[in-house]
Amino acid sequence: MKYGTYRRATQLIVFGFMFLIPALNLFEIYLITGTYYAVSIGSLSIADPAVIVQAVFASGHVTISLVAAGLFSALLALLFGRVWCGWACPYHLVADAVNRIRRRVARREPPAPSWDGVAAFRANVTRFGFLVVGTFTAGVLAIPVLNFVSAPGILSTEAMILVKERTVSVEIGFIALLVVVELLVLPRFWCRLFCPTGSVLAVFRTPFTLHVATSIKTPKAPCCKGNYCSAACPMGLSPFREGSNMLCTNCGRCIDACQAHGGPGGLRFAGFFFQGGA
Amino acid sequence: MRPPGAVDERQFMALCIRCNRCLEVCPYGSIRRAGLSPTVGTPYILAESKACYLCMACCRLCPTGALRTDLRNPEKVAIGKAAIDRDLCYSHLFLKHDVLPDATGAKIAALCNTCYNVCPFPDTAIELKDNLFPVVLDGCVGCGICVERCPTRPRRAINVTPTGMGRIDEAGFYFRKARARFRGGSQKIERDSVLKGQRLLDTKSRIEGSDTPPEFTFPYDPDRKIEGWE
Repeated sequence: MKYGTYRRATQLIVFGFMFLIPALNLFEIYLITGTYYAVSIGSLSIADPAVIVQAVFASGHVTISLVAAGLFSALLALLFGRVWCGWACPYHLVADAVNRIRRRVARREPPAPSWDGVAAFRANVTRFGFLVVGTFTAGVLAIPVLNFVSAPGILSTEAMILVKERTVSVEIGFIALLVVVELLVLPRFWCRLFCPTGSVLAVFRTPFTLHVATSIKTPKAPCCKGNYCSAACPMGLSPFREGSNMLCTNCGRCIDACQAHGGPGGLRFAGFFFQGGA
Repeated sequence: MRPPGAVDERQFMALCIRCNRCLEVCPYGSIRRAGLSPTVGTPYILAESKACYLCMACCRLCPTGALRTDLRNPEKVAIGKAAIDRDLCYSHLFLKHDVLPDATGAKIAALCNTCYNVCPFPDTAIELKDNLFPVVLDGCVGCGICVERCPTRPRRAINVTPTGMGRIDEAGFYFRKARARFRGGSQKIERDSVLKGQRLLDTKSRIEGSDTPPEFTFPYDPDRKIEGWE
C-alpha cells in the first residue's frame, strides 16, 4: 500500500485526538491530557521542543522537568526526522486540504520546481532566522512569544475550547489568516518558511535519521523525464538529491510518486532502522 | 489569581507554555484561560464565579514547572490573601449598627460567617473573633472559596488579592480584569470597582494578621445579671 494512505490515517487519528482528549477529560478520564503544545500519556510527558527551547530562554533556567518533557520528541526526531510534521501535525492536514482546494480551483499544474537547491536553502534560512529571532524575543520579553504563532498548538487549544465551552477564542483568527494566505498567495508557506516547531525538529536530523534515499549514486539531474518526485514534494524539494534536507518531513509523497511512475531512481526510505533495506 | 503552586508571576509568564493542561484537568472547572492580552492563553482563577478547591491536580501535571510540580500539600499553597471589607461584611456591619440595612432600606439582622464555615482551613486561615466576626489570619492560602460563597452583592465583602504576581500593578491588572468580567461580561471597568491608589491601600490596611488583633469595642451594655455571663 502507498505511504500516503497510512499517512492520511495517522493525520486523521491525531486530528481526532485533538477533540477526543478534552472529551475524555470531561468524563474525568485523565489518561491522556494536554494539547499539542504538551501532551502527557500516563506518566510520559511529551512537549513541543520549540516551546521547551523558548521556556528555557525566557526563564533563563534549565530544569529537569523541562528537559524530560522535550526528550521524547527529540528522540523521535532523531530517529524518524520530522515525522510529526508530515504524519501527525493537525495544521499540516489543514494545509493539505487547502492545497487540494487550491489545485482544484486553479486547474493548472504548479510551475516545475528548480532543482539547484537555492529555494530549499532560502527556505531554511528564513525558517531558522524566524526561530532565532523568535527565541531571542522570547528571552528578552520573558514570554514564550512563538507559542502565539504555533499552528498545531493553537488548533489543538481551539479544539479543546470548542469541546469544553462550545466556543472558539480569537486565536482561531491566526489559523484563518494562514489558510487565506496559503489559498491566495503562497501554498504551504507556513510549514516551509516559518513554523518554529518544524525548525526545532529539523535540528535533530543526523545521517542516521530516517530519510529519502535513491539508488543512483550522485544524481545531478532528475533521473526520470517527468521529475515526478519534485512535483509531488510539498516542501519544494528535489527528493532525488535532497532526501535528507532539513525541510523534508518524511511524508513519503515522493516515494509514492516515484513508485507509481516506475521511476529509475527507486526512491525509498532509509535510515537507522532501514539501512540497506528496500 | 493563578492556579495553586504558581511560581512568581514573571517566572510564570516565562515558563507557562499555554498548553492548558491544568485547565483541562481541573475537576471543578475553576481554571479559566486568559483572553486576548499579553497573558493570552495562560490560566487564571476567578474566585467570584468558581474558586479553587485545592485538589492539587493541576500542579502535578504542569510540564514546565510554571506550577510547582512537587507541591502536594494544600496548606502550602499561596496564591493570594483574602481581605474582608468591613463596610460590606454582614457580620461586621451587624456589630457596628446592631441591625443591618439592606438594599431596600429594611432593617435585617444577620450574623453570617459563611466565610468561616466554608474555609478549608478554619482557625488557621480565618477565625471567628469572639465567635462573632470573621478575621483573616496568616494561614490564608487564597483559594477563594469564601469569595465564591460570600453572600453580599454586587460586591463581595471578602476578596482575594492575588500574590505571586511579582509586581503590585500587575496584580491590580488581574484583579480588575477578574472583577470586570464578573460584572456581566463587560470589559468596561467601573471606577468604583477598581482597587488602586489610596483605596487599595485602605483595603490592604484592613487585612489583619494574627499577631496584632484589632481593638474591638463591644457596643452593648450587657446585662450582667444573666446567669453564666462572663
